[in-house]
Amino acid sequence: MMQPIKLVFLNFNYVLLSTVIFISMMTGLLILSEYIFLDPYVVSHLPSGTELGFVLILTLSSLSALVIPMNIFRISILKSSKQKMGGGVVGSIVGAAAGACSCGPVGFAVISTFGSVGATATAFLTNYEIPIRIIAIAILVVTYFTTIKSLKVECDIRSRS
Amino acid sequence: MNKKAVILGVIIVAIVAGIAASVSSSSSETVNLDMGRTHGTISTVMGSAILGDPSAPITIVEFGDYQCHQCYNWFHNTKPAITRDYIETGKANLVFVDLAFLGNDSPKAAQASYCAEDQGMYWDYHDLLYNSQEPKIDGGWANSERLKAFAFSLDLDMELFESCLDSGKYSKRVQYNIQQARDNGVRGTPGFFIVGPDGQQQISGAQPFSVFKQILDPMI
Repeated sequence: MMQPIKLVFLNFNYVLLSTVIFISMMTGLLILSEYIFLDPYVVSHLPSGTELGFVLILTLSSLSALVIPMNIFRISILKSSKQKMGGGVVGSIVGAAAGACSCGPVGFAVISTFGSVGATATAFLTNYEIPIRIIAIAILVVTYFTTIKSLKVECDIRSRS
Repeated sequence: MNKKAVILGVIIVAIVAGIAASVSSSSSETVNLDMGRTHGTISTVMGSAILGDPSAPITIVEFGDYQCHQCYNWFHNTKPAITRDYIETGKANLVFVDLAFLGNDSPKAAQASYCAEDQGMYWDYHDLLYNSQEPKIDGGWANSERLKAFAFSLDLDMELFESCLDSGKYSKRVQYNIQQARDNGVRGTPGFFIVGPDGQQQISGAQPFSVFKQILDPMI
C-alpha cells in the first residue's frame, strides 16, 4: 500500500506541490471560516463549539494535499487518463465551497450579487456545511484508494513491459 | 394670592409629571429618542438603544444578523468579556445595528426586536434570539410564530407585539440599518466599529476578545 505513495513522493517536486496545496488550502479555509483573522492583527481563534469544523478543514486539506499530487503524477509520468483526476478536484472544491459561504464577505458578496438565488445557495451551503465537508472527505478517500489501485496496476504493467 | 396659586399649581404639575416620567422610565429601557444620533461615520439613529452608559467615551457599533452563526459565536465567546470589562465598568457602550441579509427570517427577527423595544425589552429579546439561534438559516426557528413565542416567554403584551410585527411597523427601520452597513463598507456579519474620541476602527468578523482589548485599551 505504501509503495505507490513512496513512488510519488520520492520526487521532491511532488512533496513541494503537496505542501503548497496543504498550506494554501488550509490557510484559505481557516480564514474563510474565521479561525484565522488577518486584520487588524493576525490572530487565530478556535471558538467553543466549532472544533469539528476545524478538524474537518485539516482533514480535507491533508487529503487534498495527498490525492491531487498523486493524480498529477499519474497523468504526467504515466500519461494516463485525466478523467480519474476528477474525484480529487471535485472533493476539494466541494469541501472548500461549503465553508466559504456564510455570514462572511463571500456570502455577503454572493447574496448582494445574485439576490434571492444567492441567498438560497448560501443558506444551503451554510446549513449543510458539516455534511458537505464529510461528503467531500469521503470523495477524497475513495479517490485516494482508486488512485493507489490504479498506480499499482499501471506501474505493474510498465515494470513487466 | 392668585399668582401664588398659579405658581403652586405649576410646581405641583411639574412634580407629578416628573414622578410619572421617572416611574415610566424605570420600568423600561432608554429608547432612542435622539433623532440625529451618530457614532463616527455611522448613523445609529435607527439602531438599538444604547447598552451601557450613554456617556462612555467609547462606543462599539455591532452590525449583526440574528441568523448568523458567527454572530452567535461572538455573542457567546467574546461579548461576555467585553460586557464585563468595558460596558459594565462604564468604559464603553454598545449599539446593535441590523445587517439582516442572510435569509427571509432575518429582517423579521430584526423587526421583532424593535417591537420588543416598544415595550422596553429590546436587549432581553436580542439576547433571547441569540440564545435560541439554531444552526439552519430559515430553518423555522425565527419565523413569525417563533418570534411571537419568544415575546410571549418574555411576558410582553402579545396584542401590541403581534400588531407591531404583523404590520411591518419597523420594516423601514431595518432597511435603513442595512443601508447604513453598506454605506460604511460592512461586508459581512458580525462587523464592528470601535468609535472613540480620536476616531474609529473597523473590525470584521467574530474576532476574539484579545483583538478588541488591543483596540479598546489605548482609546480609554
